[in-house]
Amino acid sequence: MIVAGIDLGSLATKTVILDIDATMLSFHILRSGPVYHGVAETSLGKALDSAGLARDDVAYIVSTGYGRRRAPFADAEVTEITCHARGAKYIIPEARTVIDIGGQDSKVILVNEKGHVVNFVMNDKCAAGTGRFLEVMANSLDVSIERLGEFSLQSQQEVEVSSMCTVFAESEVISLRAEGCAVMDIIAALHRAIARRIIGMVGQVGMREKVAMTGGVAKNIGVVRALEYKLGTNIILPDEPQISGALGAALIALDKVGSARDRM
Amino acid sequence: MKDILDRFSRITADPYKFVSDWKESNKKKVIGCFPMDIPEEIVHAADMLPVVIWRGNEPVTWGHAHLTTYNCGLVRSFIDDAVKGKLGFMDGMILWRQCLQVHELPYIIETNVHPAYFSYLYLPATFPGEVSRNFAVEEFERMKRGLEEFGGNTITVEALNRSIEIYNRNRSLLRKLYDLRRKNPGVLKAKEVLAIVQSSMLMPKEDHNKLLEDLLMNIEKKEASTDGKKKVVLTGSLCQTPQAAILDLIEDLGMVVVDDDMYIGTRYFDNDVEVTANPMQSFADRYFKPTPPSATKGDWTVHWGDSVTDTVRRNHADGVISLLIKFCPPHLCYYPDVKMRLREAEIPEVLIEVEHEMVSLENTRTRLQSFIESIGGL
Amino acid sequence: MEKEYKLNRLETTKLMGPMVDKHWAELRTAKERGERVGWCSGPMFIFPYAMDMKCHFMAGYAAYCAGRGAAEQVLEAAESVGELLDTCSYHRLHMGMAAAIEKNIPVKEEVLLPMPDLLIIGRFCTEMSHYAEGLYRRYSTPVVAVDMPPPQDKEDIARLEKYVEGQIRGSLIPEIERVCGRPFDYDRMSEILSVLKQACTLRNECWEFAKVNPTPWTLWDYGVSIAPIFYMMGKPESVTYYTKLRDELAERVEKKIPVMLPDGENYRLYWDSWLPWAFLGKIIRSFTKFGAVPICGRYPWEFFDHPEDIEPEPDPVRNWVQLYYTKSHIAYHASTKGGIDLISKLVEDYSIDGLVMLASKTCRFWQGQVPIINHIEKKYGIPGILLEIDQADASFYSDAQVDTRLQALFEMIDGRRRVI
Repeated sequence: MIVAGIDLGSLATKTVILDIDATMLSFHILRSGPVYHGVAETSLGKALDSAGLARDDVAYIVSTGYGRRRAPFADAEVTEITCHARGAKYIIPEARTVIDIGGQDSKVILVNEKGHVVNFVMNDKCAAGTGRFLEVMANSLDVSIERLGEFSLQSQQEVEVSSMCTVFAESEVISLRAEGCAVMDIIAALHRAIARRIIGMVGQVGMREKVAMTGGVAKNIGVVRALEYKLGTNIILPDEPQISGALGAALIALDKVGSARDRM
Repeated sequence: MKDILDRFSRITADPYKFVSDWKESNKKKVIGCFPMDIPEEIVHAADMLPVVIWRGNEPVTWGHAHLTTYNCGLVRSFIDDAVKGKLGFMDGMILWRQCLQVHELPYIIETNVHPAYFSYLYLPATFPGEVSRNFAVEEFERMKRGLEEFGGNTITVEALNRSIEIYNRNRSLLRKLYDLRRKNPGVLKAKEVLAIVQSSMLMPKEDHNKLLEDLLMNIEKKEASTDGKKKVVLTGSLCQTPQAAILDLIEDLGMVVVDDDMYIGTRYFDNDVEVTANPMQSFADRYFKPTPPSATKGDWTVHWGDSVTDTVRRNHADGVISLLIKFCPPHLCYYPDVKMRLREAEIPEVLIEVEHEMVSLENTRTRLQSFIESIGGL
Repeated sequence: MEKEYKLNRLETTKLMGPMVDKHWAELRTAKERGERVGWCSGPMFIFPYAMDMKCHFMAGYAAYCAGRGAAEQVLEAAESVGELLDTCSYHRLHMGMAAAIEKNIPVKEEVLLPMPDLLIIGRFCTEMSHYAEGLYRRYSTPVVAVDMPPPQDKEDIARLEKYVEGQIRGSLIPEIERVCGRPFDYDRMSEILSVLKQACTLRNECWEFAKVNPTPWTLWDYGVSIAPIFYMMGKPESVTYYTKLRDELAERVEKKIPVMLPDGENYRLYWDSWLPWAFLGKIIRSFTKFGAVPICGRYPWEFFDHPEDIEPEPDPVRNWVQLYYTKSHIAYHASTKGGIDLISKLVEDYSIDGLVMLASKTCRFWQGQVPIINHIEKKYGIPGILLEIDQADASFYSDAQVDTRLQALFEMIDGRRRVI
């Protein structure tokens, strides 16, 4: 018997398959695209394929993420806050503060020893402090987004990008380039800007050690370092930061199956 | 019961129509009073209808020609309504120095709307000392004199006390409503309770009292089940209504509102006005009461967080939903302290920002859903 | 015709830096010397000064903190303890500073101050009360408060004056006496007002020179000169400073030396609301590029623009309140009507070409910015713009917005000049 968790994010859809002992059998990440319909099915199908399993084997499916209500075949939908908390805590048992920076939102979640959410703060109103911010800037600087992080660490001189608004910040970047500022320095400034947005959210929630980071932007070493510097602590990263939401959803699916069995 | 609830719902869905129709039938003057603390009894005793100014029913357009966009919804929509001519039925308006948003209004209203009667009160911060208290009494007296002049009639002490009694009756009935809801959460939907309180702000209190008496008898007989539902307390939403859609969302997600400290809520009817030989002093006494703690009054000796904590404990509630009107400086400044107190008391809380023009409820849904998941409603 | 404009900086203003630094340094070390410290919001510091208390002043601190390049750090400290972004940035600066002290958050040392013995509120802006309430809630600092409403109408002025004076005598003075353990020193208050009168009279002479075209100085120069006639009032250095300044300006006018090189300003502007301390460098460059100078503003004209009204004796307390209310109408100018009155006069006296309103995302104290633009435009045919930025928080600032809107203003002014 297996369960599945599907995280339908704005940029990527992730599926995790777990067996009854919570062992991860497979996971899959695929680009969501603008049309959600069918993406969840495809993602689930691909994850099952890579584990050599069939759809009938799946006892329970939990969907999460921005598009969680667009997986009508799911047995339950749970928010990404609850799922990220659960997933991150599972991978990093000592995590109590989870910072998740996704494609178009960011959140800071306080989690207890059971992996339950104690408190959370979200920014999903604008692109500041999200993956989108970095996408826009990478585009503007004609740099690949995968390399932004390492470039930021090569900065020699501190410059500032202070505007909170992504659109305004982009115009600041263009000005700085025109003035002859080094690209690495600008990239470092952008990473500090993201970190500043996140710090405010951490402040609202109240940081507790240990701090973990999930979501696509966790793969950006520059953001991680900028946050570590501002928080004054080390941040623990899972190997696959993008799948913690789907993992959390799958763990919740296991709970549901377990409690159903207990009731029987 | 359903009839009365439907009636309240219709009234609050289109207060413009209701109040102008009432004025047409009753041929009395209508005075718009800005939230939260203007003593409506004085208007009532002048034989005019006081209505509490409400947040408009359209996104703001022309209003932004007079005021920048980063002001609260109530102020922007009030200007919008006023300059669009939607408030022609208001014979007069009374505003007061409650916060930074309101003080933009007098000039804009006077120069663009020219109401027949306009007054701006400087109700003081409730700082300690006789001077503040005496000044409040003077301002209330000035309000009375202005209305006497406008109405052409003296407002007697007897008339004031009669109005005060009627208003106290309304307060006590609304308190009873809330008691019934506390004992039996879910007996009414949160938006129904909101409509009941808000309709009190739009019609003569005598009429509202009759309807309420009827309604309460029926509510007493009704039973509601809260099995599996998480009980929440709503706090904030100073001055203005939150969107009913948010209240629906809270309930759709499996929560039930058990209590609140919103203005269109307990804040409106907390504390009676004492019937005495000096009604202006009585109004000042009510105004200076330290509870419920008000973010606008400048009282540093009480803590709003304590009051919210007490409300949660009294109701054995599972958590708090803070409704923060966007660009409300008094609430913005106070919120971190309330949050800190709730954290110390280990009371789960979520912050929901409320805007006049709420484009999408999806963000709010995610926050509320995460909240209920976090308080065990998974 | 790309003229290269350049600001011709004054010599005298260079004296301000060390004076201001000394003031804040004395404040920082006050407790070490066993002195009492007050924190003031609203213009109440004359009262603690009369009792030899060292006093911090809210808006002055914001200017100092921003000027030292520490605003962002302090704002971040505020956010890290849960302050929300839409909140007044002056409020956040103070919560941030207090949080930095309490939690040892690293910020520039020179912007840290000792926690006060007394918080003195002058609720001129309602926010000025909120910040003290917040500090009390977190740190239990004693508070004394005076409500100081800006009058909406002239007919309200006398009544409000009585209210304010009553509170000062009934609450503020008794509390300061209690904290300091001695009777209030009315004589010292009179002395401070005396010195203030002298300094402001000299300052008004300096203002006269700005009526000349080309002007010998700008609002930027005046802005950095405010401290001696406001939150550093009563010091003899204020008279020395303004004497020097007056003399330097007189010399410039005599020799026809403009502040805007090569040959005078292109645009003379009114600036509304706080001066943009955190962005002074950038904004000065944006203005100067076009040969534009700000000459006057509602806020910097708050500092006792009618020194002839200052009467240190026999009753300094009454006179101080009268300056804000019945005599000099300082409080009234913050309202829309009062603002229109004052700004109309400034437009006429200083031959103003256009209005620039700092419309802060987080501040709503300066009333009627939009109606004022409309009114002045109708009456004088001069245009105005809003700069939707912030007084201290760079995250709300956009260079592109400022440059575009300023340029549009100058183009509007040019357009009207061509027609005339």
